Amino acid sequence: MTAYIVRRLFATLPVMAVVALFVFFLLRFAPGDPAAIIAGEDATAEAIAAVRAKLGLDRPMVEQFFVWILQLAQGDMGVSIFSNLAVTRLISQRVEPTVALTLSTLFVAVALAIPIGVVAAWKARKLVDRLVMGFAVLGFAMPGFVLAYILIYFFAVQWQLLPVQGYRPIGEGLWPFVECLILPSVALGVTYMALIARITRASMLEVLAQDYIRTANAKGLATDRVLLLHALKNAAVPIITVIGIGIALLISGVVITETVFNIPGLGRLTVDAVLKRDYPVVQGLILVFAAAKVLVNLIIDISYAFLDPRIRY
Amino acid sequence: MSVAVGNILEVRNLQTQFNTLDGVVRAVDGVSFDLARGETLGIVGESGCGKSVTALSILRLIPPETGRIAAGSIKFEGEELTTLGEEAMKRLRGHRISMIFQEPMTSLNPVLTVGTQIAENVVRHMAVPWRAARERAFEMLDLVRIADARRRLDEYPHQLSGGMRQRVMIAMALSCDPQVLIADEPTTALDVTIQAQILQLMLELKEKTGTAIVLITHDLGVVAETTERVVVMYAGRKVEEAPVEALFDEPLHPYTRGLMRAIPRLDVEADAAGTRPRLQEIPGLVPRLTQPIPGCAFAPRCGFATGRCAVDPPPLIDAGAGHTVACWEVERVRASAP
Repeated sequence: MTAYIVRRLFATLPVMAVVALFVFFLLRFAPGDPAAIIAGEDATAEAIAAVRAKLGLDRPMVEQFFVWILQLAQGDMGVSIFSNLAVTRLISQRVEPTVALTLSTLFVAVALAIPIGVVAAWKARKLVDRLVMGFAVLGFAMPGFVLAYILIYFFAVQWQLLPVQGYRPIGEGLWPFVECLILPSVALGVTYMALIARITRASMLEVLAQDYIRTANAKGLATDRVLLLHALKNAAVPIITVIGIGIALLISGVVITETVFNIPGLGRLTVDAVLKRDYPVVQGLILVFAAAKVLVNLIIDISYAFLDPRIRY
Repeated sequence: MSVAVGNILEVRNLQTQFNTLDGVVRAVDGVSFDLARGETLGIVGESGCGKSVTALSILRLIPPETGRIAAGSIKFEGEELTTLGEEAMKRLRGHRISMIFQEPMTSLNPVLTVGTQIAENVVRHMAVPWRAARERAFEMLDLVRIADARRRLDEYPHQLSGGMRQRVMIAMALSCDPQVLIADEPTTALDVTIQAQILQLMLELKEKTGTAIVLITHDLGVVAETTERVVVMYAGRKVEEAPVEALFDEPLHPYTRGLMRAIPRLDVEADAAGTRPRLQEIPGLVPRLTQPIPGCAFAPRCGFATGRCAVDPPPLIDAGAGHTVACWEVERVRASAP
């Protein structure tokens, strides 16, 4: 298993290299010029050229690319064109809120979705199932930012139970930290929860029709043991896969949610950097997102082996 | 009908039905039989005759979304099972009545170890701690002659062969010393050599434990070798019942005769004399069970059928010595060459 993990980690390097290549050139070919933005609207052509030379953007693109890659290899993501701060520092300052929001959303979604899906499959085609799955369709259809404003209106404005927006680092105490995360996590998590609940139900239904479930019932096992051990463990692989895919969705969802709730995370940093064509920052962010995705995939692949003894590496 | 002393299971007029898009399927349509303590009873019939549904009905494992026991009575040690509460039923399953299935490849849970799957049954019914249940699982694997049983406890089903998995199923089914073991086509999916071993093992264990067995099969050879009494089913009904020797000596129902003629024979003398009979199939098809069948279900395929057979269902006629048959024309059948 350790050998497999090490091998998989090495296998991520080419993936990351391709991501780096794409990110770099796509940005360069996108319309917009950072030098023109920095120089200002009334700047002369000479002034813009001077700024461009200062940033090294006048050099051949291939040369720029290799300079960037060599820096990266040393753990240096470059310096923001606008704020003159190191990209690594900018990103690390913003990582905590995003990681906290992603994990709490994941927790909210999974903790609700799996029981919902299991109950729906158990009571398939009965009232509970129809209610729960109707709710899931609604959740799936409702855009996160719409739900966000609805939640804010009731929980923060009308009933004043939770803060309207903002973020408090975990260092300032557990409750202030949690309090700020509840609404964004629910708003972001509902779509995701609906997706996982549907997959859980479908996967459980398939498993519940298997011969070994009949065997488990023929042993007179308690319903919870049949559902949660015999069935859910077999149903887990597709569920885990969708949770993994969902994390990719979360990363894009985070951008909107952070904006709505005014959370100073990576999502907001990304939007700002893209709008200003701050190449080093955007490159660094996309690499970080890509690395997170690759890592999630790895964790998921490894979890398969723990869930299903027939999968061996 | 008088209640015979020593019957552990009494099934009376069992009717199990399924709702399908084509209408109500009467999978089991008024079947009755008894099982004595320690007896081995065979239930024979072709695919779709209702023998597996009969077995699942006894354990009340008919999926409630589609099927139900519409009428009849199932008494286990005098206790009515058709109206027993679900919790009480669960305490019975795997403990006092247990079941093994046709497909050993799919009947064990692929993600749980063999030891866990046996031990959980013991923990559930015998109120022992997990460690003792594991020890019991080891004893059972040893009893069903799985070599290196201690190591096998921690293996998963995919690491075992089909024959070994069926041994595991038997070990599991017998782990709580049930009074009744229902074996639904336990050897059908196995190689012929393994079939014989598994049947032998079941009979030996029966001798040791005194468990009564209901052996469901389409294979008359298996019935001849292992059972004491046989119920023949056709289209959800019992058509004949007899001690095994009587059934093979003088089958009285035309359907039973048809089944026997469909067994390939390997008589060396007949072969040498060139008189080996051609293998005969039963003409026609099993009737659809969505429509009530007014007369004898076998009449459309039967060479002995008369006008009465198509309209009046034949009652079970006592042919003596525990041999009963549901056929109007039994005297003509008896008089003809088997």
